[in-house]
Amino acid sequence: MEIKYRGAEAIVETGQWLGRKVIFKTRNKRGYRHPILEKRLVKERLRSESRIIERLISHGVNVPAIYGVDISNNCIIMEFIDGITLEKALRGNDFEQYLAQTAKLLSLLHSLTVVHGDPTTSNFMVTDSVYVIDFGLSTVSDDNEARASDLRVFLESLDSHHSEISGRDIFLSYYSEWSSSALVLEALKVLELRGRYNLMRG
Amino acid sequence: MRKTLSKIAIGIESTAHTAGVGLITSEGKILSNQRALYVPKEGGIHPREAANHHSEKLPDLFKSALEEAKLTPTDISLVSYARGPGLGPCLRTGATAARAFAYYHDIPLLGVNHCVAHLEIGILEGATDPVLLYLSGANTQVIAYAAGRYRVFGETIDIGIGNGLDKFAREVGMGFPGGPKLEKIAEGDVLLDLPYSVKGMDLAFSGLMTAAKQKLDSGHSLASVAYSIQETAFAMSCEVSERALAHTGKKELVLGGGVACNSRLREMADIMTKERGVKCFVPERALCVDNGVMIAWLGLQMMGADYNITEKDNEVDQKYRTDMVEVTWR
Ligand SMILES: Nc1ncnc2c1ncn2[C@@H]1O[C@H](COP(=O)(O)OP(=O)(O)O)[C@@H](O)[C@H]1O
Ligand SMILES: [Mg+2]
Repeated sequence: MEIKYRGAEAIVETGQWLGRKVIFKTRNKRGYRHPILEKRLVKERLRSESRIIERLISHGVNVPAIYGVDISNNCIIMEFIDGITLEKALRGNDFEQYLAQTAKLLSLLHSLTVVHGDPTTSNFMVTDSVYVIDFGLSTVSDDNEARASDLRVFLESLDSHHSEISGRDIFLSYYSEWSSSALVLEALKVLELRGRYNLMRG
Repeated sequence: MRKTLSKIAIGIESTAHTAGVGLITSEGKILSNQRALYVPKEGGIHPREAANHHSEKLPDLFKSALEEAKLTPTDISLVSYARGPGLGPCLRTGATAARAFAYYHDIPLLGVNHCVAHLEIGILEGATDPVLLYLSGANTQVIAYAAGRYRVFGETIDIGIGNGLDKFAREVGMGFPGGPKLEKIAEGDVLLDLPYSVKGMDLAFSGLMTAAKQKLDSGHSLASVAYSIQETAFAMSCEVSERALAHTGKKELVLGGGVACNSRLREMADIMTKERGVKCFVPERALCVDNGVMIAWLGLQMMGADYNITEKDNEVDQKYRTDMVEVTWR
């Protein structure tokens, strides 16, 4: 096994499993967190990640297949997506096409009542098409505010890391192709007004 | 293109509770850091009362800063003040004092961004390209440099962590500032179950504080509730910093803001960065809280990079966002 990546909360290693190239995603202990809190969060996230991926697979969404869950080691074994992160892909020339696919993918998730919780550009992978990964903070919900919060996280990661491209408009125009998107976009406006665009300091 | 000649700047801070006047040289030698804290008689901050407090204290703070540094106004080559973000009346008081001093002594004047100043103090501490975990009363943000600006990667989506702590403390009858008082009494090892609210790199505190109050009302001791608030809120803050470090690939963390004075927070940030193999820069407490030194230091950084002062630079801006500042000095 080789360490591939140290993510936001997990160590991701590649390896072989039943003749396939797979990813071992292990949530390692955080020494700064109280042990009770640590245990609660890791279990919650492991469980919700595997459940939500299963749910999306059953609808044919582009997510890595799950091969197994090793509860005692806080490890999920999943399909290796042989590509680059969207983060990297957006630095190339085809960024518009990737943004379009990502927007459609996120609206598909939302239409299936999955809220991703952390859809930054590091949590999408690009191969021949765009895949979504990392469901550790995901929930099942049809709440438009929660969906809007997803949009905000994505736009913020776009804004803060790809400020050279005006991805916002492209992304939102493809997202709005989803028939139920109007209320989400409405909620996004409210959220952005409440947040950093309306700093009430003191 | 840094100027090589040593310069001295005076910085005036007055965005919220603190009136501060600081002096620093372009080599980073701190000559004075004078502060006065406005404590509301009851309830939260009253902007006008705070502004009155600041206008009363600022003249003395100027005087004691210059005395401590053994300087006269002629030794100073820049007057820097916090242009925003902050409370209108407080900002205007600071800007007025800064303007008066600058015009009277014929020294260039420059209004700078308060949040960016917190980050630049981390650079004074030796960081080169850090992620800043900025935890103060109203501000709770994760900030880092990308493509010409300091950008907000994550932040609170409801209340600032410090205001949350203060509000809880007030409700249980403790005075201002609540954060340090809660830190003193926080005790225990049993963690009460409180909402842990992290959404990507954003966080939320209002549900946590409400739930904490309910725990107290249902019979848990204040010590254990305070302990659980700290454990939960600070773990959330460390987690979003960790996410920002992972997302940006940066290798340094800087702590800033009043809540960054908390020892448990410092300990958690230290463990987190060690586990990640990242360097942690923790400015001394007098530089974490709002202070004039950081305002002066940022002004010097900007001038050192041949910043062109325009008319806009003697205004105030309550909603002066971090990412509105074009970073030309690095
Ligand atoms: N199924 C996968 N196939 C290929 N690479 C992956 C896969 N899952 C994760 N990675 C890589 O590992 C990184 C971290 O994984 P992620 O699931 O996002 O964990 P974390 O919660 O720690 O961010 C991703 O950004 C990606 O580069
Ligand atoms: Mg991830």
